[in-house]
Parts: sequence; C-alpha cells; structure tokens
Amino acid sequence: MAERVPINPGRVEWSGDNPGIYLKHAADGPFVTLSLFFRVVLSPHGRGTAMLILGAPEDARGWPHAPNAFITDNQQLGRYLIDAFVVNMPTFRGKAGLTAATFLPLTAASTLGDPRSRYTERVQSHDLVAEMTWDELGVPFAVEVNADQSATGTHEMYSVFVEAKAASVTLAGARFGGQVVNRQLFGRTISTAFLAFSETWVKPGR
Amino acid sequence: MPIGIPINPGRIDWSGENPGIMLKERADGPWSALALFFRIAWSPEGRGSALMLYERPDAPAGPPAANNLVITDNEPMARYLMRNFVGKFGVFGEAPAFRAMPYVPLTHAATHGDPRGHRYVETVSCAGVTVELVWEDLGPPTAIEIPPPLSGTGEHTMFSLLVEARRAAIIVNGRPLPGAPVPREQAGLKTTTAFLYFAESWIRAPFVT
Repeated sequence: MAERVPINPGRVEWSGDNPGIYLKHAADGPFVTLSLFFRVVLSPHGRGTAMLILGAPEDARGWPHAPNAFITDNQQLGRYLIDAFVVNMPTFRGKAGLTAATFLPLTAASTLGDPRSRYTERVQSHDLVAEMTWDELGVPFAVEVNADQSATGTHEMYSVFVEAKAASVTLAGARFGGQVVNRQLFGRTISTAFLAFSETWVKPGR
Repeated sequence: MPIGIPINPGRIDWSGENPGIMLKERADGPWSALALFFRIAWSPEGRGSALMLYERPDAPAGPPAANNLVITDNEPMARYLMRNFVGKFGVFGEAPAFRAMPYVPLTHAATHGDPRGHRYVETVSCAGVTVELVWEDLGPPTAIEIPPPLSGTGEHTMFSLLVEARRAAIIVNGRPLPGAPVPREQAGLKTTTAFLYFAESWIRAPFVT
C-alpha cells in the first residue's frame, strides 16, 4: 500500500456536502431523473446551498417549460459548480437539460430526517418546493480517489458516502419517475442514490 | 493525498465540521480559554451541533461559577463525542473543566462570514449564554490526512480541511475571554491554535480493535 502523505500539496477547490439521486425506469435504460444537492462550506465563490433537478435530462428546456431547474442562494457559486464540475461528470455529460436548467433564487432550505435511516433535503424558490429524499440508508464509508478515478478526471476527491436503497425527487409536488439502480463505482456495486458528506475536491499539486 | 484505495476499509465514527479556538495569555503559560464546535452530519448517535466551552479550563466547575459547558441540540451525540474523542484530546480531556461540564439545550445557532474571506463566525446560544467564536486573518485551505499515530485519539485516520486563523476570539455574552492563539504544529505543518476544520471524518483504522 502506498504511504499516506499527511499534508496534501494540492489546491483545494471546494468542500461541503454533495448527495445525489439518479433514477431509471429500467436498469439498462437511460437516466430519467438526475438530481444533486450542494451544501458548500468553502469555495472560491464563498459558501452556499444549491439543488439541481433534471426531471427531463434530455429536454433542452428549463423550468417552467420543462422540469429542469437549479435553485441556489449563490448564483456565482452555482455557475462555478455547474461549469467546472457537473458538466464533466459522466452521468451529466452532454445532457441538454443541464445546459438549459433555469437558475432560480433559493429562498429557504431545510434538512429533515436522519442520515442513518431516512433523510431529506428541501429547498424553496418562493412558492416552488423541491425535495430529495433518501431511504433505506446503509453504513457510511469513506472514499478517497485519485484524479484518474474521480468524476471530473482532474481532481482528487475525498468524501463519506451513505448508500440509499430507495429514493425520490419531487418538484412542485410532482414526484419524478424512475427508481434507484445499481452501478459499479470505486470497484464496488453501489446504488445511484447516495448521501455524500464532508466532500473535498482538490486540484493535484504535482 | 489519496493513496489509490478508493474505498477506505475503516469504519466511519463521525463526519462533519470541528473548528476550535485555544487561547493563552502568554506563550509559555496555561490555556486561558478553550472552545470546540461540532456540526455533525453523521454519527452513530445521529446528526446535530455541539459547542464545548471552557471559560476557565483550570476550574472543576460548571455554571454559574464558570461557563464550562456543552451546548447541544443532540445530547447523546454530544456525550458520544466527549467520551470517545474530546476526552482523548490531551489538552481538552485533561483539563479539570472537562469532568464538570453540564449539557444544556441549544436554542440558537448561526454561521456568518466566509472561510476564504477575512472573518468567519459561529454563534451558539443556550438559556442565558451566547457564545461567539470568531476566526480572523484566515489562511489558505489545506487538505490533511492524519494517520492513527498522529491523530488525536491515536486510533483513527482523520481526514479534514484545515483553514488556520492568525487571530481569534471567544466571546461570551459580549465579553471576550482573555488570551490569543499561539503557534502549534500538526503533522509537520506549522499552524496556530485557532482553526477551522471542515469536511472532517474520523475513521477507525481496521487493524485497531
């Protein structure tokens, strides 16, 4: 095993929580719902909270014409997260709905439940309510990936994952279709609904 | 930096934030005031916040004699942290104040400022006591991975994101406690006793029983 270096020489890009839910109708079909939540405690653009919901990932329209929305209390941070990170993630790469998602101001946010069993992140943009709920949560485990293993392909990433066997996403009271499926990630079979706490993205220093 | 084992085989004991301030009135003197704040995203006792304050570290007493106390919205979680972690953190566990602290309900908590800016503040209140932890003159963020021999418990690998502060204050009901941060070293990194720790996870090394 390689030796651990206590002080990472890389440049910290951002840090916070970054859970997600990706749903399919069939295990061998396309994703029909993609959603990510961000609670960022440190970034080049300050702190902030954001929820990305693509209820129609292949539709090049945003809310209210299609259920594709990005609700955030820090628009500059949101743009940075989308342009520098999310567009590079394999699950989101090339999705027309991501480019078209309407940026909306976050007016309220709350965390409900317990990360050991059932957990919900809820955000509001005025009267519009969006919720992500993770259910049947498992045992947490730590991941630490090199640049060639990470979702962007250029960052090292640390996180604590908690896998959910069931999950749901709602926008304006409507629950999106699809269900959690399994995928191969980090050499393990992991569901497509996960809590991700204490996540830090680092640009390698050498 | 990551060592190429994507999934750490150790058991997560808790994950969250754990900033602190340790003050002295002179570099070679005793600690004049200590505070640790926990914002826990996951623990065996659930999530929550807890502030541990030693207004007088040398006093084996709680309020009203001294504001040595734990303010929390999840007492089982706070007791878990104190028993299994803070009690093993040399300075904190050995202080006479440690065994005298009552646990009191948190009534308010708020975060202000920017850890990449000039100033960052955590404010926590309980009935009759409001504590402000203020970090200023902040340094760049550094990702750290502390192996068991160098971690506070000696039993865990600890991942965290350190932002040091060169100035800091513990303010209780509007009154700054005496002292200032002093230099310290962590895993060879020269830093101070006023620190923000974000994205912190304590992982029990699989070979430790």
